[in-house]
Amino acid sequence: MADQGTESILQFAPFQSAVDEGFWHRLSSLKLNKLGIDDSPIPITGFYAPCSHPHVSNHLTLVSESLPSESSEHFRPEIIRGNRNRCPVPGILYNTNTLEGFQSLDKQSLLRAEARKIWEDIRSGKVDEDNSVLLRFIVISFADLKNWSFHYWFAFPALILDPPATLVGLKPAAQWFSVEEAESVTAACNDWRNMCSTTDVPFFLVSISSNSAASIRHLVEFDACRKNGDKVLFGFYDPCHLPNNPGWPLRNYLWYISRRWSLEKVQFFCYRESRGFANLELSLVGEASISNSQDSRNDQNMPNAVGWEQNNRGRKAPRCISLAKTMDPTRLAISAADLNLKLMRWRQLPSLDLNVLSSTRCLLLGAGTLGCQVARMLMAWGVRKITLLDSGKVAMSNPLRQSLYTLDDCLNGGELKAEAAVKSLKKIFPAVEAESVIMAIPMPGHPVPSQEENSVLEDCKRLHELIDSHDAVFLLTDTRESRWLPSLLCANANKVTITAALGFDSFLVMRHGAGPLSSSPEIKAKATNDLSAEIGALSLKDNIKGQRLGCYFCNDVVAPVDSTANRTLDQQCTVTRPGLAPIASSLAVELLVGILHHPSGIFAKAEFASSIDTGSEQPLGILPHQIRGSISQFSQMTLAGHASASCTACSSTVVEEYEKGGLDFILEAINHPTYLEDITGLTELMKSAASFQIGWDDETGDEDDFVEI
Amino acid sequence: MAESWDGTLSSTEFYVAASAFAQQWRKFNSSLPHWSWLPSPNRPPWIFHDNQVQRDGRGEHRYDFHVVYSASYRVPVLYFRAYCNDGQPLSLDDIEKDIPVNSAELITRSKWTFMTQQEHPILDRPWYTLHPCGTSEWMKLLINSDASIAQNPVTVEKYMVSWFSVVGQVFGLKIPFEMLDFAAT
Repeated sequence: MADQGTESILQFAPFQSAVDEGFWHRLSSLKLNKLGIDDSPIPITGFYAPCSHPHVSNHLTLVSESLPSESSEHFRPEIIRGNRNRCPVPGILYNTNTLEGFQSLDKQSLLRAEARKIWEDIRSGKVDEDNSVLLRFIVISFADLKNWSFHYWFAFPALILDPPATLVGLKPAAQWFSVEEAESVTAACNDWRNMCSTTDVPFFLVSISSNSAASIRHLVEFDACRKNGDKVLFGFYDPCHLPNNPGWPLRNYLWYISRRWSLEKVQFFCYRESRGFANLELSLVGEASISNSQDSRNDQNMPNAVGWEQNNRGRKAPRCISLAKTMDPTRLAISAADLNLKLMRWRQLPSLDLNVLSSTRCLLLGAGTLGCQVARMLMAWGVRKITLLDSGKVAMSNPLRQSLYTLDDCLNGGELKAEAAVKSLKKIFPAVEAESVIMAIPMPGHPVPSQEENSVLEDCKRLHELIDSHDAVFLLTDTRESRWLPSLLCANANKVTITAALGFDSFLVMRHGAGPLSSSPEIKAKATNDLSAEIGALSLKDNIKGQRLGCYFCNDVVAPVDSTANRTLDQQCTVTRPGLAPIASSLAVELLVGILHHPSGIFAKAEFASSIDTGSEQPLGILPHQIRGSISQFSQMTLAGHASASCTACSSTVVEEYEKGGLDFILEAINHPTYLEDITGLTELMKSAASFQIGWDDETGDEDDFVEI
Repeated sequence: MAESWDGTLSSTEFYVAASAFAQQWRKFNSSLPHWSWLPSPNRPPWIFHDNQVQRDGRGEHRYDFHVVYSASYRVPVLYFRAYCNDGQPLSLDDIEKDIPVNSAELITRSKWTFMTQQEHPILDRPWYTLHPCGTSEWMKLLINSDASIAQNPVTVEKYMVSWFSVVGQVFGLKIPFEMLDFAAT
């Protein structure tokens, strides 16, 4: 900049703004909770301090306290004085309601209006009392609360001196002062900065007497100091770090000095710090020459003003900041939910595979007591893709037991359950990818009138496609026969299938075995390696005993029929102890997590709590086939049952028949109660073997205990 | 502290430990911003240290560090945030570029320094933090494995210095050796 001795125009380093995210947080909540569409200007307070870093300038900073609090009556920011790093500066905020409004603000006249305040404060003498008004600033903004982005633009209005001030000389203060003076100035500045009453007063006088003793005085004492014959410098807290330029506050300061005392030569002191103490190597002293033309002394003409800040690319344009990461509740919910699971992995289960969980597509058949609870448990485990299928509406009796519904869902005839459940899931966790399917599951033994045949067949096709497009299926409906078609379709598609069923005080939770036509990776590997081609050819057909686990229907000697016919209401409806459904639902979900983490997946063998031959212990524990529990006994046991060759849902006979006959086969099964029993040989079996016993492993499950609900 | 010590501090002990830490920091790290107490009636005690400036080719990044006492884990917790000059917060990716390479690895691998975003207990805004659930365990290990401590029982004053020697490392904030030495005496 200026060489010593040769005069050049004095150039100032522009003020730089910084907005703490806390400011935007408070502005957002003010806007939402108090201001609404009121867009009148808001008084705010900015803060700055002397530069304290040799390479970085201090900024004019807005923090949350810069704004009035929502409860404040006078709607002015409440400022705590006496913080050395926070010299308060008055500002004004124009926050518009729309981006268009923001763009069309008349910036020139806003700047001029604010500059006029400074000019009037100088004329009225207000600056003498509170010199921070010289630093008045403007912020215009638009808060896009939908996207958590904030457009804003600062202006630091500066009155223009005409002609501009010229620089007589500028040096580090340490070189300007004598050694004694420098020592005394340093001590005086530190005292000023350490005094609560003066630490945030940014403009002051440095008065040096003939014996090199320096003192820091208030501006109003200028005449007294001059009378003493002291050397007087105009000091200010300089936010700028540059060695050859004073910072922006000097602009209005010079204007004020020239107007107030009509000085032509002004010695100024740019006060800078390091480590909290005055640093005269970084501080500057300069001398400016101001020509006091008639014009500038003319009280009637306000000078021109400049001061809109450049953006971070150095252009005269607004800035924009995005805070979606810290403000978007959806994103916050995701990171919080992830944290819980990650902690689990970190502390207890290093092998927990969160990606598998979040990418598994789950289909829940039934959105009642079980469906609601299973959906919640799935979300708790980090499952993100959930489809709920139900044809019913939310009834008044539902919300107490069906944890996704409230009374609102029951009004006006009730919302569709699947839709209400999805809405509720999204409310609980916005990032869930939940979908609803409204349809009834076709059931055997519930004959279809011929005019409805097409729509029933359409439903069958749709269910087939739904099962194909998901990875895991939960059977959570309230009748036994409604589980038949999904069991068959899952066996056909070889999907992970989990059934939960409730009695009055007992429950069954089980995973279905693999489909009859699938082959486990182990068997395949064995077949390619083994010399015996026989085993490979046999694959996993039902006649290989002990290989395939059963499905919900494997243990039955009757095909599913209409179980609600001829039953009293208490037998049809959910008459079950309320604690049962949450227990069974939780077990069903834990079972799924176990399958997803088991190396053999759907082919995993049944494991028991007491089994000692498992060898390969999984971090999540054993993976049973069935869990049966009774609340009346407060007991629970794990069981296993193999697939039955006569099963009406998963036997190869039925699945092959379905593959061949397709929808015709389904229609046959639905309309003719004994059709399934006939083709699977159950009819034959029942006739011939009165002593038929199902192959429970140790215990004999007593199916009659189960009232299907 | 006795052998059965579980690696935690009471809130009063935290106050003592953090005050001692702030004082020593001022003495041995005078070029860095100091730690100061912030008043927080009815809230957990905390100290802060704002505006650590990191400069590189991509401009200045500012780091704010807060230490808040966690009443549930009974340990100090480091909260921090990073932002550009204009206030735009840095993403975790950006932060990982700022911190020393070996710390970045430490964060992804080590179970002692699990970085996550959580609500700042006083400001009620999401800040990054090193999760405290392992702190008492590794503090116990750290203090019990120090042979010199066998002779000189650990003082509460040393707790914060030892603690910060681990968590500060993540950001390349090294504790001067003298500070550890000082704390031991």
